[in-house]
Amino acid sequence: MAEYFTARGLPVPRELERNILTDWRRLGAIAAVLLVLFVGLRITSIDTSRANPEYAGSVLVQLLQWDFTIMSPQNEFETFWETAGGQMIVTIFLGIIATAFSIVVALPLSFLGARNIMTGNPITAAIYAVARVVFTIVRSIDVLIVVILAVIIFGLGNAAGVFGLAFHNIGVLGKLYSEAIEGIDPGPGEAITATGANRFQVIWTAVLPQIVNPFISFTIYRLDANVRLAPIIGLVGGGGIGVLLFHTMNLLNYRQAGLIIFMIILTVAVMDFISAQIRRRLI
Amino acid sequence: MAPILRIEHLVKVYPTGTRALDDVSLDVERGEFVVLIGLSGSGKSTLLRCINRLVEPTSGRILLDGTDMARARGSELRRMRRRIGMIFQQFNLVRRSSVFANVLAGRLGSRPLWRTVAMRPTTEDVALAFENLGRVGIVGKAYSRADALSGGQQQRVGIARALMQRPDLMLADEPVASLDPATSHSVMKYLEEINRKDGITVLCSLHFLSLARRYGTRVIALKDGRVAFDGKPVDIDEVRFKEIYGEDAVEVEIGVGPTADERAAAESADATAAAMRAHLETLDTH
Ligand SMILES: Nc1ncnc2c1ncn2[C@@H]1O[C@H](COP(=O)(O)OP(=O)(O)OP(=O)(O)O)[C@@H](O)[C@H]1O
Ligand SMILES: [Mg+2]
Repeated sequence: MAEYFTARGLPVPRELERNILTDWRRLGAIAAVLLVLFVGLRITSIDTSRANPEYAGSVLVQLLQWDFTIMSPQNEFETFWETAGGQMIVTIFLGIIATAFSIVVALPLSFLGARNIMTGNPITAAIYAVARVVFTIVRSIDVLIVVILAVIIFGLGNAAGVFGLAFHNIGVLGKLYSEAIEGIDPGPGEAITATGANRFQVIWTAVLPQIVNPFISFTIYRLDANVRLAPIIGLVGGGGIGVLLFHTMNLLNYRQAGLIIFMIILTVAVMDFISAQIRRRLI
Repeated sequence: MAPILRIEHLVKVYPTGTRALDDVSLDVERGEFVVLIGLSGSGKSTLLRCINRLVEPTSGRILLDGTDMARARGSELRRMRRRIGMIFQQFNLVRRSSVFANVLAGRLGSRPLWRTVAMRPTTEDVALAFENLGRVGIVGKAYSRADALSGGQQQRVGIARALMQRPDLMLADEPVASLDPATSHSVMKYLEEINRKDGITVLCSLHFLSLARRYGTRVIALKDGRVAFDGKPVDIDEVRFKEIYGEDAVEVEIGVGPTADERAAAESADATAAAMRAHLETLDTH
């Protein structure tokens, strides 16, 4: 094939020049991947010899034989809110409240993290850089890790869970909001600047109308994510229905655990559907 | 009388190293309709945007009625900007907001912050907004979303917004470059009217020399960031034209005549005026 080009004095396209079978970069890449997998298998020493399919089968059956007694109070001291149904509702609200807290913090900060708002002045440009780094650091600490640390401050329970969800979400929403602000059309803002309005007036009249829809869309997306995460934070002491799931599993009470897992899956699916519907209408 | 705008040795070097304006000096007298022409990249936008400091000049002076705009800071800069209206090729309306809100935005600079936040314009501003919408013939569209309007109508909203400032000087950066020839004339006629009737000095960049000849009382041509011609439109002959636009350029005409837009505007003018009067009356009673 390459002769076609050389015969006519044309440069040979790179794709034709290389032979896939002898290209050392390609071979090197394949070798590197294989090496990583080999080393990984050695040091993790994954052991499947203790697997017990029979036991697993019986647990699976129990998980589907739902025990509805956890849906009503267990003794005279408990109210509806301690039941599995009540805790599911509480958990959904943990996600909602955590999202609300993070909006309050992320919303003003996101303007500091938007390049188009902050450049033009060395001081604001420095604030911009700091805001972006803060978002990145906050975002990179996983929710579960924040909850584990928050338990030290707040003790076990809802406070630690909400804090963990909200903290991580500030980083994510801050970045998403900032990028929405950076994506706006600068024209209207310039026009209003030219009329002699100050920076705040420009943001209020020219920037805000352009970002409401993306902001609502991102917020609902994160609300969805937080309601999804809320049952999990209970597993590390963050409160909500995850605590109940943790207990029932420890007590090998798979019939109750199965019902809880089903409720969580149902909640997440419903949230997912609602959030997708709303977001679709916003675009 | 002193010129309303005097530019002295204006230089703009962009951070990329482009010398967009290279020692530009010129005077604009009160009441002139100055058309700025020149090839793409010759520095027209840069010059206009330096005047109201959307672009920071590198050096030189921009005297607005004797006060140096290039040195103004903070609230003084904003106060000076209020005297200069600007309209844009892309109209630069807030697309999701109503026409009315867009026009009112032209007055923000003169009003306290809480009125912006609470969206409570003064009755005077509301009346002025409808007066200006009436002048450009789009009162009927006041409550439409800005992006629901045609290009020509959007540019008229842009003019109404700038008029809210009661400016002494109007800058227009290729105001009709996104419009078809017929609509271009209808928009240019509004600029001509505010120049003739209100005595607002206009500095307007245009791509078509035929439009420049038709509307300008004076033409300034830029070439590579320098003033290449400054004089009467009629003095741009074949030789001058080729100096400004290059050897291969050919002058094109752009037709003049009433447009569909204009005819519609004329027909609705009476209805518009009546609606405006009715609206102003309701305002007075409050
Ligand atoms: N923000 C910017 N950064 C760097 N260079 C720029 C910037 N804006 C304009 N320039 C350069 O400055 C020169 C003048 O540009 P300007 O936009 O003022 O020209 P113009 O006459 O308005 O052109 P057009 O007719 O295409 O609008 C061009 O070389 C352009 O590439
Ligand atoms: Mg331009």
